[in-house]
Amino acid sequence: MTAVITTGATSVPTRSMRWKEPRRHLLFLAGVLVLWQLGNLALGQLVLPSVPSVFKALLEITLSGALIKAMGESILLLFLGLSAALAIGFFFGVLIGRSKLAQWTLSPYFSALFVTPTVALVPLVLVWFGFGLSGRVLVVILAAVVPIMLSVAGSLRDEPGELVEVARSFGVRGEIALLVHVRLRAALPVILSGFRLAVGRAVVGMAVAETYLRLGGIGALINSYGALFQTDYVFASILPLTFLGIGLTKLVSRVERHFQGWQS
Amino acid sequence: MSSTAIKPARPSGAMTVASALRLQHVLPVVSLVVVLSLWEVVGQSMNPLLFAPPSRVVGAFSGLIKSGELLAATLTTVSTLSVGFALAILVGIPLGVLMAQFPRFGELLSPYLYGIFSTPRVVIVPLIIVWFGVGYSGRLFLIFLWSMIAISTSTTDGVRNARPDLIEVARSYGASRIEMVRHVLLPGAVPFVVSGLRIGAERAVVGVVIGEMFLQLTGLGGLLVTSAKSFQTAEMLCAVVVIAVIGTILITALDLLEQQVSSWKRRAT
Repeated sequence: MTAVITTGATSVPTRSMRWKEPRRHLLFLAGVLVLWQLGNLALGQLVLPSVPSVFKALLEITLSGALIKAMGESILLLFLGLSAALAIGFFFGVLIGRSKLAQWTLSPYFSALFVTPTVALVPLVLVWFGFGLSGRVLVVILAAVVPIMLSVAGSLRDEPGELVEVARSFGVRGEIALLVHVRLRAALPVILSGFRLAVGRAVVGMAVAETYLRLGGIGALINSYGALFQTDYVFASILPLTFLGIGLTKLVSRVERHFQGWQS
Repeated sequence: MSSTAIKPARPSGAMTVASALRLQHVLPVVSLVVVLSLWEVVGQSMNPLLFAPPSRVVGAFSGLIKSGELLAATLTTVSTLSVGFALAILVGIPLGVLMAQFPRFGELLSPYLYGIFSTPRVVIVPLIIVWFGVGYSGRLFLIFLWSMIAISTSTTDGVRNARPDLIEVARSYGASRIEMVRHVLLPGAVPFVVSGLRIGAERAVVGVVIGEMFLQLTGLGGLLVTSAKSFQTAEMLCAVVVIAVIGTILITALDLLEQQVSSWKRRAT
């Protein structure tokens, strides 16, 4: 299970993104922008807005505070959803990882949740929980909880035999103390890689919730510009969301690398 | 991440193998029965507009099947999904090989692919409406692009990880670039390609649902949204279940293929 989690993560194009030669990348970026501008001339402002107009729109929504307000709401939603998903994922992960009874009775539901696209659950959440913050937070939890639960459960199932032995001989007694002091610490790298997946899915869940409910946050901002066919503003508000997703994932993988270094 | 069902753990010493195996199969059923009856009891006592007990979901299910609505919606979803995924494979694998064969090109392109890949698709929908309109091609694009990126990056990883000794041998026999790709690099990359297909399939299933919910109300996603608008909770649950089943079948099949392929590779080397 643990190996499965890490391979699943590395196949996503994180690793190949290296910035060894910034000059070549800058040249390529210039080429892309020139092509974009040519596309703008050929297709028109509605289909592909010109590069300057996107930057102007970005500057304008930043200065007017609309972008900052929307991003603030989105980040708050992400924070609440991810914290709750961590708590719930940890609870069930420990339960399922350490008890076979829990594994056999509970894990099928998590598997079912994992294969169901979060988007498909949003209408149900809306009917049951309404338009409020709680409904949106629940969507983020639904998106993010399973990778956390799976990584916690999977890593606790692999017994860190030597570590447990050593801890016992140093007088760590009781299942809870062992869990906190030994098993969870040994499992940290795997749990972090599960958390990295969860962050990516949480960003998607956040966008889905905000788009479907059309209330607050960056998702609603993008869609309100989309409804007015202001394509330049749509691009200008999508870019920060993309960078938010990439930035958060990078942050977690940096923490991950830190702890991997400790273990090896 | 990949295996959807959790691998059963080895039974501990206290239990015999046979009784543990029995429990392993009996307990999920017991828990399902308990959950369904709880749901039924709670559902009966709640506002029928909001909460559909299992009995009503079953009723809605047979109703949707009799009217042919569910079958038509499923066919629409599955056919769009298949075409989009097939396109993603057809473009993704060659692009992946190209990116591995011309590493500089791959390195320059991958940040952009990664950027697109990490952008949630729901927010792209306004752009897709402008580019493709609210029709079939827009829905195909939502499946195709994201699935294709997953497949191509995985293929690139696979081709890059080709065994250097085999490349050496092929080169010393004067293999051309195309022969090298066909006989050495692609066969070696098969396990990676298959794991890319699995990630791509997950993306494709989400993509088809997004397209049907946000772009054009059709298929299972459309059924879901239209029943949500009229508070038909039971019909909504039917659509969700069928979507989940389609995803499970596709991903389980690719999981099995992945296991097959990687075990074959282990035996061969």
